[in-house]
Parts: sequence; C-alpha cells; structure tokens
Amino acid sequence: MIVRALGLIAGAALVLLPLAGVPYTTTLLLPAFGYAVALLGLNLLFGSTGLLSFGHALFIALGGYTAAALTGRFGVRSLELVLLAAALVAALVAVPIGLLCVRYVKIYFGMLTLAFGMLFYSFLYKFYALTGGDEGMRVLRPMLLGRPLEHLDTVAYLTGPFYYYALGVLVVAALVMRRLVGSPFGLSLRSIRENAAKAESLGIGVRRCRLAAFVVAAVFGAIGGVLLVVPTGLADPLLAYWTHSGNLVFMLLLGGFDHFLGPVLGALVFILLQDSVMSLTSYWRFVFGAILAVIVIFFPRGLMGLLDARRAAAS
Amino acid sequence: MTALLEATDVRKSYGDTLALDGVSLRVDAGEFVSIIGPNGAGKTTLVNVLTGLTPPSSGRVRFKGTDVAGVGPARLARLGMARSFQLVTIFPALSVADTLAVAALSRLRRSTRPFAALSRDADVRAAVDEVAALFGLHDKLERAARTLPQGDKKLLDVASAFALRPDVILMDEPTSGVSTADKTTIMQTLVHAAQRMGVRAIVQVEHDMDIVFGYSDRIVALHQGRVLADATPDAIRADADVVRAVLGIATTQGRTQPGRA
Amino acid sequence: MSAVRWALALGWPTPLFLPVLLAAGLALAAVGPVIERLLRPIYDRDESFQLLLTFALVLMFEDVIRFVWGTAPHQLGNVYLAYGQVRVGALTVPTYNLIVIACSAGIAAGMGWFLARTRFGRIVRATAENREMAAAMGVDMTRVYARVFTLGVALGTVGGALVIPATAAVNEMGIELIVEAFAVVVIGGLGSMRGAFAGALVVGVVKAVAIATWPEVEMLAIYVIVIAVLVLRPAGLFARATA
Repeated sequence: MIVRALGLIAGAALVLLPLAGVPYTTTLLLPAFGYAVALLGLNLLFGSTGLLSFGHALFIALGGYTAAALTGRFGVRSLELVLLAAALVAALVAVPIGLLCVRYVKIYFGMLTLAFGMLFYSFLYKFYALTGGDEGMRVLRPMLLGRPLEHLDTVAYLTGPFYYYALGVLVVAALVMRRLVGSPFGLSLRSIRENAAKAESLGIGVRRCRLAAFVVAAVFGAIGGVLLVVPTGLADPLLAYWTHSGNLVFMLLLGGFDHFLGPVLGALVFILLQDSVMSLTSYWRFVFGAILAVIVIFFPRGLMGLLDARRAAAS
Repeated sequence: MTALLEATDVRKSYGDTLALDGVSLRVDAGEFVSIIGPNGAGKTTLVNVLTGLTPPSSGRVRFKGTDVAGVGPARLARLGMARSFQLVTIFPALSVADTLAVAALSRLRRSTRPFAALSRDADVRAAVDEVAALFGLHDKLERAARTLPQGDKKLLDVASAFALRPDVILMDEPTSGVSTADKTTIMQTLVHAAQRMGVRAIVQVEHDMDIVFGYSDRIVALHQGRVLADATPDAIRADADVVRAVLGIATTQGRTQPGRA
Repeated sequence: MSAVRWALALGWPTPLFLPVLLAAGLALAAVGPVIERLLRPIYDRDESFQLLLTFALVLMFEDVIRFVWGTAPHQLGNVYLAYGQVRVGALTVPTYNLIVIACSAGIAAGMGWFLARTRFGRIVRATAENREMAAAMGVDMTRVYARVFTLGVALGTVGGALVIPATAAVNEMGIELIVEAFAVVVIGGLGSMRGAFAGALVVGVVKAVAIATWPEVEMLAIYVIVIAVLVLRPAGLFARATA
C-alpha cells in the first residue's frame, strides 16, 4: 500500500512538474528518464536472470551514437524512427555479444561484458573519422510525432514536449517490462537465476532465455541512450566507459533490483542526489562511493527493499 | 517392441578413470527399475548419461526410439524424461506454486511466452494444483521453497519433475536425507503420483535395500562401472555372488572400496 | 584481485627515489587490514557484489587522492633519469627500467617461494582450494584473509610506486590501471601466479607493439585479447587443470 501510494504521488508530481515553472529541475529529470528505461532492461538481466553486466553502457552509447548518426549525418529527424533504429541496432549487436557472454555466469559474465563495453569505448575513442573521437558526435533536435517544433527555444522544447515524450516512453517501457516480468518467460528467467541446472532439467532452454534477456536489456539500453543524448545534444565515448556502466549498476542497486519499479526509483534518486551533492562539494565521487559501499554491505535490496521492510513491519 | 529407454554398451571415462565400462540397460513401459551398487560403482554417472547431462564417451542411449546421447537435459525433458537430483535441488526464492508452474509451463510449451499473463493461465493453475495436491503441498503453495522443511523440499524437487508429466522419471536417491519413518510415505506418494500422472516407467538409484526390494520390478546391480546383475528382486536375493559383491559392500557404504570414482 | 586494483591507485604520489618509493608503498599497505575489515561482510555474497564494492572504493579513493594531492599530474622525471642509462648492445636502456624489471622478478620469485614453501603459503593455497575444508581443519579464516589482503595491498602499492617515475601520476590513473590490471589477471587466469606474470607480459608487449605500429588499436587490441581469452580459455591461459 505504501509503495503504491508513494508511487501515485511521485507519478503525479512528475506529470505536473513542467507546469511548476522550475525549468532547472525539469531538465534535471530528463536524464533520469533515459536511465530509468535503460535500467528497466538491465534489471531484467540482473534482478530476474541473475546476470550482472558491467558493460551495459555499451548499449546506451549505441543508442546515443545511432541518434547522432541519424539526425546529424543522415537527416532522419523523426524521434520515433530514431528510437526504432536504435532498438534494431542494439538487438543486432547484442545477439553476437550475448551468444558469447551468456555462456558464462557471475564474475566471468561481468568481466566479459566489461571487456566488450571497453572495446566499444576504445573504438569510439580512437576511430576519429567515423565517430568524432573524444569530441563525439552532435545530436540534432529531433521531431516529436512528426512535429518539428522549431519555434521553441531549447529550454522550452526540453521542458515541454520532449519532457512528456520521454516520460511517455518511460511509462510504455515500464508497462512492457511489467508484462515481461509477469509472463511465463519472466518466470523462466527467475528459475534460471535461482538454479540453472534445475531449470534445465525442467526443460527450460537456459542459454536461449539468457540470450533473450540480454537482447531485451540491450534494446531498452539503446532506447534509454537515445533519450539521454537528445537533451545534451552530444554522443561521446564516455557514454560507453566502464564507470558509466558502474553508475548504471549503482542506480539499480540504489533503487532495489527485486522490485520492478526499483530501477525507476534508482534513476530518479541518483540524478537528484548527484545534483545536490555536486552542488555541495566537488568531492561528490567520494560521497557516492561511500553510499554505494553502504548499500552493498548493509542494504543490498536498495530503497525499494527498505520500503518493503517498513511495510512488512507495519503489517 | 521398442524399449522406452535403452542404453547400449555405454562407456564414460574421466581422464584415466573409467566410470562406466560397457553398460547396457533397458527400461520398458510399466516398469519400476532400481539401480544399486556401492559408492563409486557409476550409478550417478549412469543417471547423468541417461538424462543427457553427460555425453557418453561411446555407446548409444535411445529414448522412445530416438538417439538422445548428450542432447542435454532441457531437450530430454521436453521429449518426456524427467529427473530429480540426489541432493535437494530447488529454486530457493521461488514459491511452491511458481516452482511447479515452471514445470507445467515447460510441458505446455509456454515457457518462453513473453507477453502472456502467467497469473491468468488457467491450465497452469490447474496443473499446479493437481501436482501440489498429490504431493501434499497444496497448503504451502505461496511459501518460498527455501522456507520449507527438509522433507517438503525433497518432495517439491520430485513433484516438479512429476509436473512435467514425463513418460520416464529418473530419481537419484529420492529418499536420501529423509528419516526412515518418512521414506515409506515418500515412496507411496511417488508410486501413487506416477499412476495418476501417467508416468510409464520409474528408474531410481537407491541405497535403502528395504525400499529397493519393496518397490522394484527389476534391479540392476552396478559394480565398478559394469552391470553385475539385471534381474527381479527375487532372483537378485537368490544370487549369492551379487549379494556378496554388491549388497555386502553397499551396506558398508564404500568403506571397503579403495578406488572411488 | 580487487586489492591490487585500487592499491595501484594508492601507490603513486610518493616522493623522490626508489627506496623511499618502496618504503612508502609498503607503509601504505597499512590501510589493507582496515579495508579488509570493510569487505568482510560480503565474502559470502555473490561475486558481483564484490565487484560493485570495488567500484565504490575506486570512486572514493579517486577523490581522496584528488583531495590530498590535487588534480595536476605529479611527475618524478628526475628520479627516472637519476639512475642514468645503460648500453645493451645497440640499445640504450634507462637504468631505472632495468631496476624495475629486477624488482618485479625478485617479487615474483619471492611470491613463488612464499606460496610454495612457507607454512602460511600452503594455508593460503588450501584456503583458495576449499575454504570450508580449511576452516574445518582449524585454519583461522579471518586472519588468513586479513593477511592475504594486506599482502595484496602491499604488492599493489609497491607496483604503483615502481611505475610512477617512468610515467606520471595522474588522477585517472587508478581507473586506467584497474582496467589494465583486470586484463592482466583475466589473461593469466584468476588465482594463477605464473598466469599473472604472463598476462602482464602479454599486455605490455601488445601495448608496445600497437603503439609502435598502429596506435589507434592500442587499447582495442588488449580488449580483443581479453575477450578471446575469456571465450576460448575462460580460466585463463595458465589455469591449473582443476580450475
């Protein structure tokens, strides 16, 4: 009950925020939407399937660079097309990578995904002619639902139409993910997480399911990546860097991986926290490292876990 | 008539160790077969080969007429062969209902449906209820597997294999780790469930000789990777050599076996 | 492994010449037990959580270093050259490089002797093989972990100290080195001393060759090797048969 009530209040606040006349906070939340979409996917991999990817930023970068290439180089300005293309590219890249990675579990899976992420980072960084090297690639303002919206200045565009567009994508992504988690496929993934040998003996195709989860996570990552680069107008190699992957996992843990809305909460809290801590001290990394350490050691179920515990104590 | 499950001259070596040395075995519909033998005789290796977990080094395994050597447990399960493990093997955080649903979905070929609502699947619900009732787990459906008492965990492990409605079920020591008093109850539950679920043959590895002789139609005695005897319980009992070589050692649990595989 | 990673980050901003570098490296190992204590609650958890905690510590130490030494690179060029150069055939090699090579070989030999011959070394290997069994035989796990961890930190800090004069201490060094150390360990295989040595050689040689021939692929080549090793020989090039 508490979770549901808080969720409704938070949802209403998100819908009304752009009307409150606080453009700074409104633009601040945009990356949180992008991250939330990516984390929903990452959580299918970690929370449901039990595979912790340390290279998920690869797919965020893939989405970001797809957006940059399409809007900047090929003149495709429709955001719907860009999202679709990003999802497609991510799936195409995720299948071969996933085929290799899902043969391993635990730390080997983590290390292999980390290596792939860094491989992509090095590629983006070094192949200047193709990717713009460390300067990255510009992302031009896309049309939303076929509307160019050129009369709006950047802030108005971002805090108005794009804000609701991103929120809408997040809501759709969350609904799709809830469906996935509550489906037979979702149960198969959880059974694999709990005991892969047993799942196999019950006729579950373990590697195929893991691969499917990997690809779905990649698609969500790329869609999140598109939403991330539109506000900044830039896709750069750091999107694929391993600390970015680390931050994703951090957000996931912050929100709580065993609740399907945990990732959304994690992304929102991370972004708001980062903003407030950064304004207080330039040593925000230290604070964040300490917070992450405390979560890992004492609260592995994250904020959602805390809410759950309070609910359990209250009932 | 083709056998339900048939192994022909199966060999399996791990490095220099020969775990199975030309084992042939045939299981027909309607049979309850027990595999016995001292520790290290190759019983678990044989079950692993029969269930497709371990590919044999040579030899053939046929299930319902198809060659299944090394096809992997997932495909074999879908073909109609289920197994339970020697050590309790469950999904610790999943509920009893979800555990059984995993098997029911697998049998219905619905395991990979991504957008169907599991909670509204009446077929799965019915299958779960039926199996749970057969194994006395119906009042614990919502409990997480890891919170069950040891005996119930064992039952859940076996029940999930039965929920596949397999043609053949292979059980590696279904009563291990269970108190003597509970063993008979478990066996009766198993036999009853097998009848109700249309299981056509049961193969078990078992150490408890009362259970082996009380339930089996046929006993296969393994010794050092070879079939020492393959006969009815009465014939086995009458065979002084087998009693000495297998049963004598079996009661001392491999302490007299120098080379455990 | 995690110990080595961020300990590398710790070891650098140490002043002046070699003995001091080494002493400072060893002194910094004193933080080992403290951090080990912090990590203790998660030994039983999934390795993924250990990886995450490592990440948390990296974030923290990076800022600690920023706080103490600022963001400008620290260079120790004078040390590097103070030892002069040696002519080996047609090549001119800075003496310092030879010293580093000698130190590495000495440390490697010492570790080999320590693990193979000493009582504590045997305990460590037994623990790595089977923790429960070792504990059941009366080995004090808590102390073994604390000591091994501290040893790891000491090696890390000394290693960090050794490379500093040849390059420079920059803030992002920790993160860069972690990824390289990660590559070394993966290529060599977790838990293999010979492997770690070979892994370091592979990474070093590949970097050198790539820089000389096609600089764009320097980092790329290392990750391709890491992936190839993980895919083909997941236990590393020098995995023991049982691993």
